[in-house]
Amino acid sequence: MAIDRVQELLSGRQVDRVPLYHFLLGFCARNVGYEVADMYSDPQKSYQAQAWTFEQYGIDGGPDYGYASYGGWEFGGEIKMPEGEWQQAPSHVTFPVTKPEDLDGLTLPDARTAGSLPLAMEFSKLQQQNGVPITVILGGNFSVAGNICPPSTLCRWMLKKPDAAHRLLRIASDHILDVVRLWADTFGAENVIPNLWEPIAANDIISPKQFEQFALPYIKETNEQMLDMGIKHILYHICGEQNANMPLWAQIPMGDPGMVTFGHQVTLTKAIEHFGDSCIILGNVDSSLIQTGTPQQVYEACRDVILEAKDAPRGFMLMSGCELPPMSAPYNVYMMKKAIEDFGQY
Amino acid sequence: MADETKKAEILAGLHDGVVEFDEDRTVEVANEAVAEGVDAYEAIMDGLAKGMETVGGMYARQEYFVPELLLCADALYAALDILKPHLKKENHAEAKKVVLGVVEGDIHDIGKNLVKVMFDAAGWEVIDLGADVKIERFAEEQKKAGAQVVGISALMTTSMLAMPKIIKMVKDGDPNARVLVGGAPINPDIAGSYGADGYAPNAGEAVAAAMAILAQS
Repeated sequence: MAIDRVQELLSGRQVDRVPLYHFLLGFCARNVGYEVADMYSDPQKSYQAQAWTFEQYGIDGGPDYGYASYGGWEFGGEIKMPEGEWQQAPSHVTFPVTKPEDLDGLTLPDARTAGSLPLAMEFSKLQQQNGVPITVILGGNFSVAGNICPPSTLCRWMLKKPDAAHRLLRIASDHILDVVRLWADTFGAENVIPNLWEPIAANDIISPKQFEQFALPYIKETNEQMLDMGIKHILYHICGEQNANMPLWAQIPMGDPGMVTFGHQVTLTKAIEHFGDSCIILGNVDSSLIQTGTPQQVYEACRDVILEAKDAPRGFMLMSGCELPPMSAPYNVYMMKKAIEDFGQY
Repeated sequence: MADETKKAEILAGLHDGVVEFDEDRTVEVANEAVAEGVDAYEAIMDGLAKGMETVGGMYARQEYFVPELLLCADALYAALDILKPHLKKENHAEAKKVVLGVVEGDIHDIGKNLVKVMFDAAGWEVIDLGADVKIERFAEEQKKAGAQVVGISALMTTSMLAMPKIIKMVKDGDPNARVLVGGAPINPDIAGSYGADGYAPNAGEAVAAAMAILAQS
């Protein structure tokens, strides 16, 4: 398992080449002949499938466990594991909150037992046993809130019932801290890298003004408290179209260095401008292109991204702009490594 | 019957109520339109739909985002519920039809719902199949309704792969049907390679894209 480059960058040391970083659970399942659902319901199989695939493709870093709709199950809603030909990850069946009155009965779940967290803890123990970075994947504050209730409800509340929206953000934020505290207590804060994904706060959905009012204060406060716990590095996946939010994101501490990953909608030049001095930059090859493009197109897109960002002050890792699509052509995934070999050497 | 000044005031009230996502106002003005004998079709098309057109422009200019659009839609639908029962028969006969749905395996329906609003506001008859729609249903429902357009949405890179199969089923069932696709992982090149007739990058452009592909037929 080639994890050293990630640790070297986190330690502020020079690496020999751009590391290849990935989040690719469904792809790993297909790669080793497991069901996609196994990646979310069976930590042992999930770890194994990723470890094998990482070795095969020369991926740096270590296996991770998590999914984008995190929050609903943990607060008492129902999710279903991916099934059939077209599903990629667990998805909501019911939401624990659908109307303001539901907030009155909403309590903080026990981080030891709620929803997917026992599976995530089992997975992190495998990370520890195998000497790879210990991560815990959660939604960003706004996305956890938008998974406790339907995102469209959260959107309406921001304008019509802002108190309800803030109550939801408060409990989502408290929950994130509960989980990170449990991981810090179990593994040592300095060994844990919280991974937070924030798709719902993208400008595809909300305005920068709404981000400033409903996302920024909570994310900032939570990150500050995680760092106060002794967490050294926070990885934030700033998902989707977030260009107008970038100056606001830049106000949020991510650790020293932090790790920030971007979708293809944000140029890495802009990412470096805002985060280059404090964070390792990760990204941002268009995920759809990796799935639907030709190997040459993927290779060229990777080349362009590498040349744009490889000299970021705190380092750069090549990654897809969002989860690597499970149905990606294996040769296209290999093209990412090939592009690093050809253009990512230092 | 309302005089022209009163009618203009009502139409402006419906327009502004939608733009300002003031549901109470659109309901009040829609009731006033009925009481004053304003033609329901005019009230919808020259009041509510014009309002949604303005909203579409504000969305394109990033003055409004999804939260505002959702509330504008709520204001629109509240008034439509009042006005639609008063439409004359010939108004129904004129409506173009579109079948909309999010593909199987994908539950993300905010985008599709906003597209539905835009078609509703533009006077189309919308057959909304919802989210996580079995791939066969698009062609079945298109045929059943005789819809001119099928709109397919996907947010996931896995679920988008169902699109070419759905498009083929629709075209096999009715070669005259036109298919419009959209969703975060889709772009014009992918839409073309899947055999779609058109692509809309966002809800605000969906109706224009549908009209454009019909004009090409």
